[in-house]
Amino acid sequence: MRSVRRVALYGVLALAAVTFIYPFLWMASSTLKPPSEVGSLSLFPGHITLDNYRKMWERAPFGRALLNSAFVATTITAAVLVLGSMTAYAMARLRFRGRPLLNAATLAVLMVPGQLTLIPLYTVMVKLGWIDTYAALIVPYVFNATAVLMLRQFFLQIPQSLVDSGRMDGMGELRILFTIFWPLAKPALAIVAIFTFMGSWNEVLWPLLVVRDQRLMTLPQLLTVFALGGGAGSIGVSLASAMVLVVPVVVAYAFLQRYFIESMAGAGIKG
Amino acid sequence: MRAEAVEERSGWLLAVPYAGFLLAFAAYPILFALVLVVLQWDLVTAPTFAGLDNVILLSHDARFWQAVANTFVFLAIHVPLQVVTALALALALNRPLAFRGFWRASFFLPVVISGAVVAILWNSLYATDVGLINQLLARVGVAPVPWLTDPRTAMPAIAIMVTWKNVGFYVIIYLAGLQYIPRSCQEAIELEGASDWQRFRYLTLPLLLPQTILVVTLSTINGFQLFIEPYVMTGGGPLRRTYSIVLYLYTNAFSYQKMGYAATIGVALALIIGAVVVLQRRVIGTAEAA
Amino acid sequence: MPSVSFEHVSKHFGEARVVEEFDLEVADGELLVLVGGSGSGKSTILRMLAGLESVTTGAIRIGDRDVTTLPPRERNVAMVFQDYALYPHMTVRDNLSVGLRLKSAPKAEIERRVSWAAGMLGLEPLFDRKPKQLSGGQRQRVAMGRAMVREPLVFLFDEPLSNLDAGLRAQMRIEIGSLQRRLNTTTVYVTHDQVEAMTLGDRIVVLADGRIQQVGRPVDIYRAPINRFVAGFIGTPPMNFLSGTIDQSQGTTAFIADGVRVQLPGNRAAARPSEPVTLGIRPEDLIVEPGGEGGGPPLPDVLRGRVLLVERLGGSSHIHLDVGPPPHRVVAAVSNDVLPDVGASVTAHVRAERTHLFGADGSALR
Repeated sequence: MRSVRRVALYGVLALAAVTFIYPFLWMASSTLKPPSEVGSLSLFPGHITLDNYRKMWERAPFGRALLNSAFVATTITAAVLVLGSMTAYAMARLRFRGRPLLNAATLAVLMVPGQLTLIPLYTVMVKLGWIDTYAALIVPYVFNATAVLMLRQFFLQIPQSLVDSGRMDGMGELRILFTIFWPLAKPALAIVAIFTFMGSWNEVLWPLLVVRDQRLMTLPQLLTVFALGGGAGSIGVSLASAMVLVVPVVVAYAFLQRYFIESMAGAGIKG
Repeated sequence: MRAEAVEERSGWLLAVPYAGFLLAFAAYPILFALVLVVLQWDLVTAPTFAGLDNVILLSHDARFWQAVANTFVFLAIHVPLQVVTALALALALNRPLAFRGFWRASFFLPVVISGAVVAILWNSLYATDVGLINQLLARVGVAPVPWLTDPRTAMPAIAIMVTWKNVGFYVIIYLAGLQYIPRSCQEAIELEGASDWQRFRYLTLPLLLPQTILVVTLSTINGFQLFIEPYVMTGGGPLRRTYSIVLYLYTNAFSYQKMGYAATIGVALALIIGAVVVLQRRVIGTAEAA
Repeated sequence: MPSVSFEHVSKHFGEARVVEEFDLEVADGELLVLVGGSGSGKSTILRMLAGLESVTTGAIRIGDRDVTTLPPRERNVAMVFQDYALYPHMTVRDNLSVGLRLKSAPKAEIERRVSWAAGMLGLEPLFDRKPKQLSGGQRQRVAMGRAMVREPLVFLFDEPLSNLDAGLRAQMRIEIGSLQRRLNTTTVYVTHDQVEAMTLGDRIVVLADGRIQQVGRPVDIYRAPINRFVAGFIGTPPMNFLSGTIDQSQGTTAFIADGVRVQLPGNRAAARPSEPVTLGIRPEDLIVEPGGEGGGPPLPDVLRGRVLLVERLGGSSHIHLDVGPPPHRVVAAVSNDVLPDVGASVTAHVRAERTHLFGADGSALR
């Protein structure tokens, strides 16, 4: 009886896992198939062809989009880590007037759905002349209230004596932050880095609003435009373009899955 | 300079960029959203005062209300399905298992993938003639279903896909909750001779109520923000049955350049989300008290 | 010239008056201990001296320099923290040298001071370890070493031993004391532990509610506490207190309570008859003898009671006595020669010449 139930349990788990993984494997294999084979269930192409990738690469600037995405996501992540930890340090460790207000504002911001501010922000971008610039893709994301809160929470756990000791050793506040707090806060920084990078890497609505110039498009945006505009022409090409976005993520996920899960689940709950 | 003065000054120096950012990219847009409600503005000519025109138009706008209705159809399928699947998978994972990390990682995989990619991928999976799903159905003798082109199946198809994409995230929430159910409680109820079902019904489920509230709330908020999936997969069709509120907002802003009206939709959406979430909490809260 | 002086220093946090009118001079090379319970203001005083907190009013001088508004790094003081505050990601060597490196001291000088401090504290074998790999006592030494390499004008210790277990605490107490005498550097040491204060301090400052209660050499404070608080705070087990009144009817001054009469030495001019007073008796000033049942008139300088508990400490013992009515507990510290049984009736002779008398306001009557 027990063993029957165990087998059933593993059967259910395996079925679920296949449901989640198989589509991606099928996607990967479909990009290597000629159009005639795409309909087949088999994961192993009869003929392996790179045609889909060649066509995808020729028809739209995916290399450029990959660089755009990497640049935008990296810049935002660096900014969120540096600026966010400066803010979090002040909010956790320095007594100044206005700190309670800033705390309350941060919590309030997290309650507001993004769709409310989407259009006003878009008009701000238009007024600033930032449409079709990297600034529009980056600047609205250089701070992140969730990141500030998470880092603040972590910084609050670091003993005050380390701050005192740093001050007596002649360190300024920034030096205390970056030479004492940062090494101690590596896990928190990793969590913030992952969810920030992933959020930016996968974001598509905002780029669709503020970027029309193909050369400035990020990967998810170009991918969407490419698939919708009929540029792909076939499922295989369309999926090949999606692979450009997916492969780096899956590779990173394979190595750091524990951090990914902790980070993205944690940010979603707090955010 | 005195210690407090130094702290005050450093605190301000470090916090001012963030405060400025909040003013420029949070406070100002929120206020400006409310201003836009009474404006007509195409971003090219100067905005004109429109009074309550936008609000009146919205209240009569059949397309907007259809988008709202569509979104509720989506939620009616997505939210219960999300709760049930997430809970079931979490319960399966919450046992001594071989390869536990692998199972968990595989469930979470779609969460890390961009919604745009998932939409493109499922477009292929749902394809009527060559799609993987109809191919599988054909093996068991079911005729091909035009998933995304039949008005009756399009929205359910999207809801199932979104559930699939996000379930790993909610599994983690339930797993976290399950860890806090004391072993002693489980043993106590087992000693009482409870069946597995009774144990689930009278111990696990009630103790997971906070997680269930969280899953319902988050999946609802997330559902209201449905955009990229219909945008990529159906363009809002067939017969506008998959037009979501955000898609309608985006179209008004981007295709028709109606900033005032788009912002009005945004404000309305925020109000609807707030109302629904509050209502849900009330209902679940009463259920708990009963 | 005093090494450190506090001039009417007060510290208020909003309404809360944490330190009031703190006025004190610390002599050059002295080890001064600030002792008090939590909320006494002792740590705040230390942090104000370090520059980690500002003073609300008053001034602080180190040597001939007014440091009241200087930031910590310009005060030339070094502090050993309760939790040691070692930088967890740095090795012992880096922890020792970081302060000097931040001051851009010459390399050779850093090297010299680090090896000097490490030599005195026996830290060389630990140079490449991280704080996590050290025992409590080793961390404590590294923290002291880090303070030493800065060759400060004043050492500050903030409850440095409270994270150690009892045995190690006693050992480190001795080490800190002898190190301080060798370096002869002015030291301000904060603790809540009066044993630490008694054994370490050249002088002790007893604090309560942000105010100085008494300043003096440990033995003077022990012998002549200025008020009831100090009397009860300094000494283990704590002083016994009996409530009663003064009687001068027989031509001498005596303390009387129910069934108790203690002849007070001298004339105790401050004491007025029938004023409610408190008599303080140190546990070692009670001599316990068997017998002494029943009522009768009070015998002079004798408490009669029943044994509640005998705590055997090894070399000596504490006898807890009920000397009621009203049920009143006193503790006698005795040698182990003759120990009564629990429940036995005993008499406790009071060494009347060593008793302390406190008025209704708690201050000592002499």
